[in-house]
Amino acid sequence: MSIAFKPDETFRGDYSVRNSDDAILRFPFPFPEDRYMYSVNMEPHDGQGPSDAYRHGFDVDEHYIAECRDRAITLERDPGRCQALPHMMLAQWDTLELLMDRLSTDYPEHFSLSKTGPDMGATWTWTNRPLGLEQTFVFGDAATLPCEPLEYITRQAQGDFAICDQREGTLFLDAGMVTSQADWSLDFNVGMNFMEWHGPVPLAHQAGVFERALKYLMMIRLGQPVRRLNWTMTVNPRLDTSPETFPEWGPDRASLNADNIGRKLHLRVELQTLWRLPRSNALLFPIRCYLASLDELVRVPKWGKRLYRVLGSLPPQLAEYKGLTRFLPTALDYLAPFDDGEPLPVGTAAGTERLTEMDRLSDRLSA
Amino acid sequence: MPLNPSEVTSRPVYPPLSADPRAARHWLVLEAGSLDGELLAELHTAFAPVAARLQVCWVGTSAPPADWGAFTVLPDVAALGSVLAQAQPLAVNDRLCAQGTEPFVWGVAALAAQAGLATAQVQLAHAGSQRRRVWCTHCHGFTDDVTTSVVACAGCGRHLLVRDHFSRRHGAFMGVMVDAEQPGVRPAVQEVFP
Amino acid sequence: MNGSSLTLRVVSATTLSPSLRHLQLASADGAPLPPTGAGAHVLFALPGAGRSHRNAYSLVNAPGSRSHYDIIVRRVAASRGGSAAVHETLQVGDTLQAQWPANLFAPVRGARRHVMVAGGIGITPFLSYLQDAGVRQAGFELHVCCREEERAVFAPWLPADAPVFFYWDADGHRLDTAALLARQPAGTHLSVCGPSELNASVLAAAATAGWPSAQVHTEHFGSGASGGTAFEAVLHKSGVRVQVAEDESLLDAIERIGVAAPCLCRGGACGVCITPLLDGEAEHRDHFLSPAEQAQFIMPCVSRARGARLVLDL
Repeated sequence: MSIAFKPDETFRGDYSVRNSDDAILRFPFPFPEDRYMYSVNMEPHDGQGPSDAYRHGFDVDEHYIAECRDRAITLERDPGRCQALPHMMLAQWDTLELLMDRLSTDYPEHFSLSKTGPDMGATWTWTNRPLGLEQTFVFGDAATLPCEPLEYITRQAQGDFAICDQREGTLFLDAGMVTSQADWSLDFNVGMNFMEWHGPVPLAHQAGVFERALKYLMMIRLGQPVRRLNWTMTVNPRLDTSPETFPEWGPDRASLNADNIGRKLHLRVELQTLWRLPRSNALLFPIRCYLASLDELVRVPKWGKRLYRVLGSLPPQLAEYKGLTRFLPTALDYLAPFDDGEPLPVGTAAGTERLTEMDRLSDRLSA
Repeated sequence: MPLNPSEVTSRPVYPPLSADPRAARHWLVLEAGSLDGELLAELHTAFAPVAARLQVCWVGTSAPPADWGAFTVLPDVAALGSVLAQAQPLAVNDRLCAQGTEPFVWGVAALAAQAGLATAQVQLAHAGSQRRRVWCTHCHGFTDDVTTSVVACAGCGRHLLVRDHFSRRHGAFMGVMVDAEQPGVRPAVQEVFP
Repeated sequence: MNGSSLTLRVVSATTLSPSLRHLQLASADGAPLPPTGAGAHVLFALPGAGRSHRNAYSLVNAPGSRSHYDIIVRRVAASRGGSAAVHETLQVGDTLQAQWPANLFAPVRGARRHVMVAGGIGITPFLSYLQDAGVRQAGFELHVCCREEERAVFAPWLPADAPVFFYWDADGHRLDTAALLARQPAGTHLSVCGPSELNASVLAAAATAGWPSAQVHTEHFGSGASGGTAFEAVLHKSGVRVQVAEDESLLDAIERIGVAAPCLCRGGACGVCITPLLDGEAEHRDHFLSPAEQAQFIMPCVSRARGARLVLDL
C-alpha cells in the first residue's frame, strides 16, 4: 500500500507538520461518547477497528520519515531517552524481531527482511527503503549492529516503546525508547515497578483500577496483543513534550488565543498496544502518538461536536492532571459554533468519507 | 518528625526496622545525629536477639551511644563500602538495615546494591530531618539538603517544584521547573521538609 | 503472526522408560512455530476415552526453537486420560491441537546465579533453563531428586559437564536441602519444580535458611491437588449440574459434561479459570486470588467445595 511520505515536515521550531485529508480521516479519535470516563478499556489488537490506524500491528503513516528524524534530533540532544537495564538484552532482541517481522510483512514495498535461518545466530538482512538503510547482522549478536537492538529498531519506528520485565508478581519498566511522551521521564522511571511509575496518576488508585489492570497485563498471552487509547492535548504539533524539555514547550501553553487556538491546539492520542515477548517473557508496550489540530478535527463534523461536549464535561481534577486548565475556556469558545446539539451515535468512527472544506469552516467561524 | 503521608505511590513508606532471626549476619547502619534516645533504645531491643551476628555502623562525627556494645564508626556512607568488601562473599541470608535521613539511607541502599545485596535483603527507615535529595528533570543533576517546596537547581539554576514522585534507583525526589509556563511567576517558597 | 491455537504433528515418539515418553512435535502446516523462552509450557488437547483432556507440559527443547517442540510425559498411574493418550495412543504422524505457548516459570533475568531443585518429572522445565544463554552465563546448579534408575534416563538430556547432581532415597544419596541452601551468594535465585511435598519442603527450608521470598520460585502447574470429598457443582448459566467425584477436579468435571471453561495452567497459578461463585463455600487451593477475591470467585482447576454444593456463574 502506497504511503505519501512528507519527509521534510518538522515537529519543532516552525512546526510545519500538517495532516493530509487521509491522515485526518484515519485519526484514532478516542471519544465514543459525549462524556469521557477513565477506564482500562482494553480490546484485542487484531486488525479490526474503526480506522485504518488499527489495521497493522505497528502503524506506519505519512509522517514516518519526519518522525524518525525528530527522534534522532531528540536522541542527539539527550541520549538518556533510550535506556535498557543490563538484564533486558533478550527482550531487546524479541522486540527487534517483532518489529522487523511485522513491518516487512505489513509494508513489503517499504521494508524487507531475509534470514539465513529461523533461530538466534542466523544472519539477517534488513532493508528500510524510506530511510535508505540496509543492515546485515547476526540475530542475537549485538556487536553486529551499530547500536543495541532496541535503539536500532526503534529509531526506525513511530512512537515510543517501553519494555517491562515480569517478575515478583509485578512489572518493572526496565527498558525504553521514549522521545514522544506526554510528560513522563524515562530516566527517572526506568527500573520502577508498576505501582511506582503510576504513582503520580490521580483518582485511579483508590478505586483499585491499577491492581486489576496489573493482573490483566500479567496475563497477556503470546500471539494475542491488546490495545487501548489514551489522550491529552498539546500546543503545537510537538512530539517531544517530555518533562526534560518542559522549559521549551511550557511557555506555549500560555500562548493560545482565539485566533490561533484552532491551528495550534492539538488533540494528542496515544494508541497503546501490549505484546507478550516470546523468549524473554517480557511485555512490550508501544505508545504510538497521533496529533491533530482542532481545525483539522472539526472538518469531521461528528468529531468537532463530540470534542466540544467531552471537553465541556471534563472533571476539573482530570483537566488539571492533563495540563489543560489554562486554555480550556478558549478551546471551548472555538469549538462551540461547531456543535449544533444534535444527538450523536456512540462510537469513534468518523461517520464520513469526506471532510468539510476549509472555506466552509471559516464561514462557520465568522458567523 | 514523622514523614507526611502522600497519595503518590512511589513515595516510600518505611516500617520500623526489625531483625530477621533466620538471617546469617546483620549490618545496622545508623546516621549519627538523626536518631533520638528513644529510637536508639527501641533499635537496641529489636536487634538484641541477633547481637551475636550483628555489626553496628555509626556514620558521622557525633559520639555513638555509650550503652551499646561495639560500634564501627565511619566518617561517611562511602566508608561502608570497605566494610562490606571485607565481608565478602555476601550470602542470600545476610541482611542490612539503615536508619537516618532519606538521602542517607538511600545512599546506603546504593552501596549495598553495588556490594551485591538484593533489595529484599535491605531494610530502610527514616529518622531525623525530612530534608530531601532532588533530581532535576531538565539537567538530570542533584540538589541536596532540600527543605523547601521550591528550590533552585544546583546544576542548571532553574526553580524546581519538589514533588513526591520518588526514584529508588536515583534515591531522589523529582524536581520539575515550576515556572515553565510563565517564567518568573512562582509560588511562595515554603519550608515543608524540615 | 497473531494466534491462539496450534495444530501440531507428532514427528517422533520415544519411550525413555516404562513411565516416561518423549514426543517431538512440529507444526502440521510446516510454518515456523512461535519461539519460546526457558520455562515455557504448552497446553495440549489429548484424546481420551470418551472426551478430550487438556494437559500442560513444559517444553524441554532449546529456547527459541522454531522447528519443533519437545516434551517428556510421565505416565500417571491413575491417569484420567491425558498421559495415557501420550503413552498408548499417539503415533508418529498424528496431529494434536494445542494452545500457543505460555510461561509461568521464566528464569529471573537479573539473578546473580540460579539454583534449581527438581523432583522426578519436575526436571523438565529446567532442561530448557540449561539451554538458556543467560542462565548459563549467570551460573547455575541443578539438583535432581528421582529414583536411582531414572538418572540414566535423564542423563542424555543434560549438557555435558553441566553442574547437575542426582539424589535418591538411599543412605548417603539423599539431598541435604539445608546444607544446599545455607550459604548461597547474595542475588542467587532458587527455583523448585516437583511433587507438591517436595516443593513445600524446599520452600520451607529456604524460609528457615533466611532466603528472601522474592528469590524463591516454584512452578505449580500440573500436579495441583485434585482430590477430595465428592460434591455437587451447579452451573447456573448453563443450567446443568454435575457430581464432582473424589478423584477429579471441579474443572475436570465441568469439562467432562461438555461445558466450555477457560483454563491454562491447571495449577491454580495463572488466573485464567477464575469463575464467579454464586453460592456455597469453597475450599480454595489456588495461589492467585486475594482473600477478598476468594469471597466471590473460585478457581475450578484446583479448588473444591467445603460443603456439599457450589453454584458457579458458568
